[in-house]
Order: sequence, then C-alpha cells, then structure tokens
Amino acid sequence: MFFHIVLERNMQLHPRHFGRNLRDNLVSKLMKDVEGTCSGKHGFVVAITGIENVGKGLIRDGTGFVTFPVKYQCVVFRPFKGEILEAVVTMVNKMGFFAEAGPVQIFVSNHLIPDDMEFQSGDMPNYTTSDGSIKIQKDSEVRLKIIGTRVDATEIFCIGTIKDDFLGVINDPTA
Amino acid sequence: MEKNGKGFSMPKSSLKSTPSKDDSSQKSKEGRKVQFNNGGSPEERFDYSKSNGKSSSSADKGGRGNTANVKASKSKEKEPLELRLNQELLKNAKCLMDCEAAEIIQGIQDQMTLLSQDATIKLPVSFHKGLQYSQANARYTNTHSVRRVLDTLKKHGVVEGEERHKPLNMFSLILWMQISVIANACPESTEEVFALVPSLKSKKSILQEPLEVALMVIKPLRKVDSTSV
Repeated sequence: MFFHIVLERNMQLHPRHFGRNLRDNLVSKLMKDVEGTCSGKHGFVVAITGIENVGKGLIRDGTGFVTFPVKYQCVVFRPFKGEILEAVVTMVNKMGFFAEAGPVQIFVSNHLIPDDMEFQSGDMPNYTTSDGSIKIQKDSEVRLKIIGTRVDATEIFCIGTIKDDFLGVINDPTA
Repeated sequence: MEKNGKGFSMPKSSLKSTPSKDDSSQKSKEGRKVQFNNGGSPEERFDYSKSNGKSSSSADKGGRGNTANVKASKSKEKEPLELRLNQELLKNAKCLMDCEAAEIIQGIQDQMTLLSQDATIKLPVSFHKGLQYSQANARYTNTHSVRRVLDTLKKHGVVEGEERHKPLNMFSLILWMQISVIANACPESTEEVFALVPSLKSKKSILQEPLEVALMVIKPLRKVDSTSV
C-alpha cells in the first residue's frame, strides 16, 4: 500500500558544494541517496514529494564535511500482512508462481493455490483448473492476499495466497 | 539458512517479517501457535502491526481465551521493538489509495522532465515500477469524491469502544488503511468487502448499510476498462 510520510535523514555535504546552490545540491544528493531504496520500517521510497525542513549544518570534527538534518516528504510503498493486492505474474513453476506488485515481489506457493488448479509444464508453464476455464500464467493479473513479509537490506519480499474468497485471476492475457 | 527456510516453508510454520530478539525455538513455537489460531478464523491474519495487532486484536475478539493470553505474554517481549517500528510509521503517515498515489507520482514525473537538464538525476527502477503499478490500479476517475465517500464510513467505524484499547492515532491509521484496501479492491458487493477485510466483520451490523450506500455511490466513478472483470 502507498503511504505519504515525512522522513528525516542526516545528509553529509562536502564543502565544494557550498555556495549559492547549497540547497539544490543538498536536495539532489538526497534524491540520489534515498529514491529507490528500501527499508523494513517504511518500505520502498518511491518518490520524494517535497522538502519540509533543512536544519542547521554541523561541521564534523576532523573532516570538514557538514551534516545537515533534512526532513522530507515522500511516497513509500510498504506491503502489509493481510493486505489485498493486484499483481502481475512474472514466473510460474511447480513450486508456485512469482508475481510483482510495484517494486515488491510476491511468491504464492502451490499450497496456497486452490486445490482444483494443477501445474502444467511446457513452453508457457501455467496453473489451470480441471475444466480449463481459469489459467494462471506469465502476465496474468491476479488478486492476492499478503500473508507474510520478509525484509532484506534492500528489498521486501512477500508471501501471498489466492486460496481465499474473491481472490485469484482477474485478467487472462489470452482471453 | 534457517531464517530463509522459515520464510519459505509451507504455511504451517511462522512467517515472521523482522528478526526478533527471541531465540528461534521460541519464535517457532509462537509461530505454530499463531498458525493454529489463525486456522480457525481469518480475522487474526489482518495484522497491521506484527505483534501489536495480534495482541490487541486477540484481546478484542476475546474468543481465544487462554491462548490469547499466552500469545500476548510471548508477544510482549517482541512488542517494544515492533511497537516502536509502527509508531515511527504512524507519526506522519498518511495512507494513500492507489489512484491518489498515481496522481502524485505522475506529477513528480512531469516535474522530472522539467528538471532533466541535470543528467545525473536518474529516476530509480522502483519509481517506474511504482508509477506503472499505481496507474494500472488507479480505477477511479475522481479520487477526491471517492475519498470523501469512503471517509463517511470512518464515522461508523469509530462508534465502537475498541478505540479505548488502542491509542487513537493507531486506530485511525488502521481505519484509513481499511478504507484504502476497500478502495483499491473495487468491490462489487459488501460481501466482498467483508471477505477481503475480515477485521470489519465485527462491525458488520453497523457497517452493512452505509457500506452499500458508499459502494453504490462510487461505482459510477470507476474508469471503464474493457479488460477488467
């Protein structure tokens, strides 16, 4: 789910960036450092929407770098347990399938796929119901529920299920 | 690695999101307990905060009896870490529906094209993925009306005395998140809403009618999409 939050970060700036464009340099350094990163607390930082406040800079002893505390607003994407998401399938194998929702990867194990769907291998591996009416393959859109999240240093990985009511394929690319 | 094994193993074992201070055997015990309780009802699964939601929601549901207390006492050890994490998120967090997020991110991309004279500013991959995802899921033509309509549901959500058990800002974040989940899912009926957001089931009697009205109002605001079901 997307959130709009205020974060704070201490930015270190080399004296060569000082001058008229100090603030601009600080902001572009912030963007380079933060956009695209991910943390367990707030998820993926998708975009910075604005700078709220730049505090007074403190010169660090011994190095001459200056540390500025910067408060900025940003849009983050953080998946939660129990959340319902629509994701696009990226890979199917006999253990289950991988899907992507925004910057987050979700894995749905075959144990959490309804029992009437079976794995079919081939050029386009897929999961199909016994009567062939519903198929999950690469680029299918599925609605799934997140049942667990795991956070690495740089990414969030989720486990999902489609075994509950109102979950499953939304859009079949071959239809 | 043990941690990886736990993360990827079948539903029976625990699916923990952050490493806790507890030793792994205790964690797996708690995990199994959680799964056993969760097997009965899907309500427990809708955890906003990992242990905080568990302990408070189990206290509210009441029906779990002694296992709830055991869970609560075990999760207290984890609670300080989890609670702090979620309070940090809460302080200034505003939950966005996908359509609102799409508008914001699109606005930033438009700004970026103006600023693109600086060649070193490159938009990261997650930005494009986020933009694509939010645009794909932005199903409403008028986000403000949808927001207003769904906010009226908040009034009904706040009637119960649950808020006394939780800090007020936590409760309102949860409510906002529920509203966003409802909006993102574009439900056709109130049954769908209660199936997707099980934590609202406890307020079913109060929410049924206002929810029906709200869904009827936002239905015409949906973008007509030939590929959607």
